[in-house]
Amino acid sequence: MYYTAKYIAANTKNEEGWKLFMLSKGRCLMSRKLCAVLVDLSGTLHVEDTATPGAVEALRRLRECPLKVKFVTNTTKESKQMLVNRLQKLGFDIQPEEVFTSLTAARNLVEEMKVRPMLFLQDSALQDFEGIDTTNPNAVVIGLAPDMFNYRPLNDAFRLLLGGAPLIAIHKARYYKKSDGLSLGPGPFVTGLEYATDVRATVVGKPETMFFREALKTLGCAPEEAVMIGDDVRDDVGGAQTAGMAGILVRTGKYRPGDEEKIHPPPTTVCDSFTQAVDYICNKVLQT
Amino acid sequence: MASSGRWYDRCSDIQGVLLDISGVLYDSGATGGVAIPGSVEAVTKLKQSGLSVRFCTNETQCTRDHLVAKLSGLGFQVTREEVFSPAPAACLVLKDRNLRPHLLIHPDCQPEFEGVDCSNPNCVLIGDATDEFSYKNLNEAFRVLVGLQDPILISMGKGRYYKETDGLTLDVGVFMKALEYACDVEAEVVGKPAKAFFLAALQDMGVQPQQAMMVGDDVVNDIGGAQSVGMLGLQVRTGKYRPEDEHHPTVHPDGFVDNLKQAVDLLLQHRGQ
Repeated sequence: MYYTAKYIAANTKNEEGWKLFMLSKGRCLMSRKLCAVLVDLSGTLHVEDTATPGAVEALRRLRECPLKVKFVTNTTKESKQMLVNRLQKLGFDIQPEEVFTSLTAARNLVEEMKVRPMLFLQDSALQDFEGIDTTNPNAVVIGLAPDMFNYRPLNDAFRLLLGGAPLIAIHKARYYKKSDGLSLGPGPFVTGLEYATDVRATVVGKPETMFFREALKTLGCAPEEAVMIGDDVRDDVGGAQTAGMAGILVRTGKYRPGDEEKIHPPPTTVCDSFTQAVDYICNKVLQT
Repeated sequence: MASSGRWYDRCSDIQGVLLDISGVLYDSGATGGVAIPGSVEAVTKLKQSGLSVRFCTNETQCTRDHLVAKLSGLGFQVTREEVFSPAPAACLVLKDRNLRPHLLIHPDCQPEFEGVDCSNPNCVLIGDATDEFSYKNLNEAFRVLVGLQDPILISMGKGRYYKETDGLTLDVGVFMKALEYACDVEAEVVGKPAKAFFLAALQDMGVQPQQAMMVGDDVVNDIGGAQSVGMLGLQVRTGKYRPEDEHHPTVHPDGFVDNLKQAVDLLLQHRGQ
């Protein structure tokens, strides 16, 4: 019944099928055979240029468990290499191939669809699209690109979309904070193009189910064998749980008291920090 | 929802006709645009028939004077008084409500706002600004809006796109939606499809909505707007028309015609019968 529902869901995009599939799964971490841990970066492992207390050591301990680890993050500005350099400077033992970002997800999708994207990305993020053919584009990828969010390039994108090109959004943030004040994010431009064309964007970052599935696919683990650790109750924990994983909310970074009440079902568990989350996971693994 | 039957069997009482301009009379473009075949003669015939005619446009890329000069150059019989466009309507709204706008509009539309107090803005007003829709300008408008306790966004039209000679082109509605999403506000639309805009044109002709017909190429803004005040709405298959329009989920035009010429020929044949 479990696989039948999953099969129906995957092959017919049938919503009822998905519901059935979701209901047929256990939500308790205890009952799972754990295979993989996904870890958020900003707010969980570090806050700006400081590691969260004990995080460097805790990551070392996590790696001693028989578990696969992947770092997952929504980024539009920084390439994977830039992120890794920053983390290594803080003392974390993290390699580029262990990091899965929304830019990576977008790149994977572009490769899977075999399309040539028009890229709305800053130079610092373009690194992650090296080698992708962008001549004579037949798809549109929107990240954060203030230098390109102008009438002519947007009109070019619009015409591509009208011609049937898919629209891929790294995420749909409304605005972000710049040193001189709030500034428009990718979301408004994605929304404008959706309105213009009736094309719905495929959003690739957290909290999209596809994002978590893609990250796990590279590890060869199923969602029900995986747990996500993050400080964003909706994008990290809610997203992971919707994808079929367990979710651990940490009380660092953007966490605010009461966040655990904001999603249903609630987080699998709540921990004070990444360190405590690692202890929790390692204990469970030892018990089973 | 359109009633059944052919539209021209229901046009015996028609006294007034509203015509959209871009996509019905002509296709605009960098070189001034080109008249749609048959449209110049159709306007002349319509006027000679004794029907009242007004031109209802969401054009905000230039002033009415400029638009009339452009249309005259293409051979159309149009006077400034017959043209209803959003800029003068927006000026009335600003005045009525003591609003001082931050303007994000086309430079050629600026003269319509001469004398409007734009200091210390308490609203944002946008039009079809084309190249002025840069990240920098949109971000400035965004910052004005997020800085207001009660953000007011006024948009001259909410069209998605229109047809230029070199292809379909983004209209003001796209940037209205972007700012709406960014600031969690809902824009107030001046121009089509706002009811007030159609009613002002009808009042000017002294014609009741039931005796009037709108001809346009935009299924939502022309047809949907006209039908919302009780007029007949006729869609032409020129301008931005796309075959999908004939299966629009919410707007069902009273009829479809290949172009303005066919609309006028059928209307004049069946009128008064």
